[in-house]
Amino acid sequence: MLTIKAFDKTYPSGVRALREIDLMVNPGMFGLLGPNGAGKTTLMKILATLLEPDSGSAEMNGIELIVDKHGTRKMLGYLPQEFGLYPTLTAEQTLHYFAKLKGVHDKKERAALVDALFDRVNLTDARRQRVGGFSGGMRQRLGIAQALIGQPQLIIVDEPTAGLDPEERIRFHNLLSETAGDDAVVILSTHIVADVSSLCSQMAVIRKGRILTSITPQQAIDQLRHSVWEATVPREQVVALKSRHQVVSSQMFGGLARLRVIAKGVRPSEEFNPATPVLEDYYFDLVNQREPAG
Amino acid sequence: MRNPFRTPFGTIFLNEVRINSKRIAPYFMALLCAGNGLLWWGWGPATGRGLAINSDFVIAGVLPVYSFLTLPLFTALFMADPVSRDFRTGIDPLIFSKPISRAAYVLGKFFGNFFVLACGQAAFVLTWFVLQAFPKAGVTTQNFKVVPYIKHFLVFVVISHLLLAAFYFAVGVLTRNAKIVYGLGVAFYPVYIMYQTVLLSRLPWRWKLALDPFVMNRGNVHDRRVEWMNQLVVVYDTDLIINRVVVILFSAILLTILYQRFTISERPGKAEQLLVLNLTAGAGGFYYDPPIIKPTLGERFVADHSHEKVLLPNVIRTTAGVRAHLRQLFAALAVEFRLLLSERSLVVIMSLASFLSILEVAFYNIPADVSHSAAYATNTAKLLLLFLLGMTVFYMGEAMHREREVRIQPVIWAAPGPNSVLLLSKFLASLSLTLSLMVLVGLTATLIQFLRGHTPVELQAYLITYSVILLPSIVFMTAASLVLNVLLRDKYLAYAVSIGTGVGLVYLYSQGHNHWLYNPVLYNLWTYSDLSGEGSGRILIHRLYCVALAVLFLVVAHLCFQRKSTRGLIVNGRLGGFAWAGLLGLVSLCIAIGTGMFLVGS
Repeated sequence: MLTIKAFDKTYPSGVRALREIDLMVNPGMFGLLGPNGAGKTTLMKILATLLEPDSGSAEMNGIELIVDKHGTRKMLGYLPQEFGLYPTLTAEQTLHYFAKLKGVHDKKERAALVDALFDRVNLTDARRQRVGGFSGGMRQRLGIAQALIGQPQLIIVDEPTAGLDPEERIRFHNLLSETAGDDAVVILSTHIVADVSSLCSQMAVIRKGRILTSITPQQAIDQLRHSVWEATVPREQVVALKSRHQVVSSQMFGGLARLRVIAKGVRPSEEFNPATPVLEDYYFDLVNQREPAG
Repeated sequence: MRNPFRTPFGTIFLNEVRINSKRIAPYFMALLCAGNGLLWWGWGPATGRGLAINSDFVIAGVLPVYSFLTLPLFTALFMADPVSRDFRTGIDPLIFSKPISRAAYVLGKFFGNFFVLACGQAAFVLTWFVLQAFPKAGVTTQNFKVVPYIKHFLVFVVISHLLLAAFYFAVGVLTRNAKIVYGLGVAFYPVYIMYQTVLLSRLPWRWKLALDPFVMNRGNVHDRRVEWMNQLVVVYDTDLIINRVVVILFSAILLTILYQRFTISERPGKAEQLLVLNLTAGAGGFYYDPPIIKPTLGERFVADHSHEKVLLPNVIRTTAGVRAHLRQLFAALAVEFRLLLSERSLVVIMSLASFLSILEVAFYNIPADVSHSAAYATNTAKLLLLFLLGMTVFYMGEAMHREREVRIQPVIWAAPGPNSVLLLSKFLASLSLTLSLMVLVGLTATLIQFLRGHTPVELQAYLITYSVILLPSIVFMTAASLVLNVLLRDKYLAYAVSIGTGVGLVYLYSQGHNHWLYNPVLYNLWTYSDLSGEGSGRILIHRLYCVALAVLFLVVAHLCFQRKSTRGLIVNGRLGGFAWAGLLGLVSLCIAIGTGMFLVGS
């Protein structure tokens, strides 16, 4: 289990990226949801030993992540939000390099591991190509392959599906779900609610450097049972309805607008019909709430 | 009248200048040219002969030689890939979908890059122009001059390189392969010398002049009196004007051919390999990205297990201990070498450095005080030092910031390798590169010595000179460059500081402020006799001082490296990296102080 206590981080520019972050993460896939600029990447970088928090601690399997950086790196698999590769090296040379850096020195073992990794990420046919010619999806899969080297117990993937086409995204989901089955803690940082909804057994929502909630997706949806309502109304009514009700989402099509609102147990008005709650409702309801004073 | 910079041609021209202004190569070239100018000013052919360094005769005489000796390789480097770069980076459809003509595109690219090239070349004359204000003993100057610099630069340098640039550019555009142009650039000297000796030497003098793009066959008036030469006003005769017109005409023809043959269509190539790659096995069906309003209703994603899950084999990992760190270092070093080998500029820079370092021993008679080998080794070692400094600064900067630039840094920094592995791999790769240049120059010099009949070839002389003088200097410069890059954290700032410091120190040394304590490369402080005679002890102690300083720099770089490592002097019951670095730093500091005190005392 990964335990994070009282992480606080303010950048030299004065931006306070994290405020008293406390989290407990069990093995399995953990989704960290939040809008852009919420502090997800800062938290991921701290856990990946690339950034120092101003205060706070993190512990996993008896290792203090902030203090024992070498120990942390030994059990870490990290796929950053934005990363590149040496364009002139082949995929095979790249994986061998990372395997050596991770301490896999036996030639036969390393070759077997690299073969298996290429199989798992379905890049065997491209292993001898220079990575400079890879598509975004292929690069991302090579990225997850390097993160899986050496049975990492803590895997951090930061916004891994951003920019991938739908087919690549499915493929990446498959990869992540297979990885999560290996008893590791997998932290998936994303702003795509559907990714967390699909993949994660636990989740937390972060906004403006604060953890708003830590919950399971099912619990989140259960909290909104009988509270979500949907209506299709003329566009001109939207402003009035938004001022009266807690609208979580609206979508325009033709001259109409489709609204989803949250109203606990009471039908907001005649136009609205009950709707099945989804994780997006919970997320938008949470992040759109007014920031608490102080 | 329409502003020319608002035409498509002007826009492309300006954009090329802007792109080049963000590259290091133009500045590097300008600095080399300026350094070259400084050397030719203070220690060139006019020095000590009474010839006025800013006389019309000297300027017009030196510029064709300067243009021939140092610049053709840079011309190849600059003109090789301005167009193929657009195709490589994939910006070509964005450009060609705009209303621009092929002529505007090709000419904008050509003249934009040629302008930058000419600006870099102009650093030489600019240096000469500025140096008129700084009198130096042994250098005769006349009244302050402006026009001859501009006039002769345009006639003897710019026009000569116009033809060469048009040729390299045309080859680069039509083949879309920069390496071919680099190859042609390297082949320039043998080809040109053959052209001179085989073809031009048999022609009448006027034809010789007309067909020589670098104007190397002009008449020689060096046998006249110095006063006469200082008063000479160089007038361009008809033959020279015809020559220059022919060169411009040929350039125009080349560009016209290029315009005719240039196409913007995609060429079939390796990209097709990506198209046949089978990537579909992982996907089980079509993906439907749910809109916010009708999402997946909280359904769990079910992984596609239609294919068998690939189990990863268990492996033994060792990341602690000297052996593990050495293996990691070798791995990192291997990658550094691979990346260096793919560095295209290496071919040009190495060739240029080798050629210029052996130039004197190849074409002039070097007085042999001790022996021919000693003279050859000493001469090449002194000439090579400047190139070694330039290469160290340039390639170390590239290596140190490469990870950040290609955005692989977070992945590498999250791996369990110690900082020493990351830093030493850069240090050793850069060191090996400069050492290979040293070996290349040494071997070439011995070969030239043998071919010129200056036998016997004594390898020991080369070994002693290079290992005692060059090797510790390279170690020092590489370590200094590494620590600068770590401390300043900005490549361009590190370049500027390194070159500024280098130039400043050379200036101080040449002004007589030259002491062993702050001259780690022994610039102007040794002769070959010192290496084997009584002075050898002092030189060896200085070399030890120099290496101790280098180790100290490495320790400082390790301690200040941006990537944080495990805190504490004792880690898991053992001395940690910081403790080892501290100890090593302490020892090297003691050695540096001890040897430094000896040098002051003696």
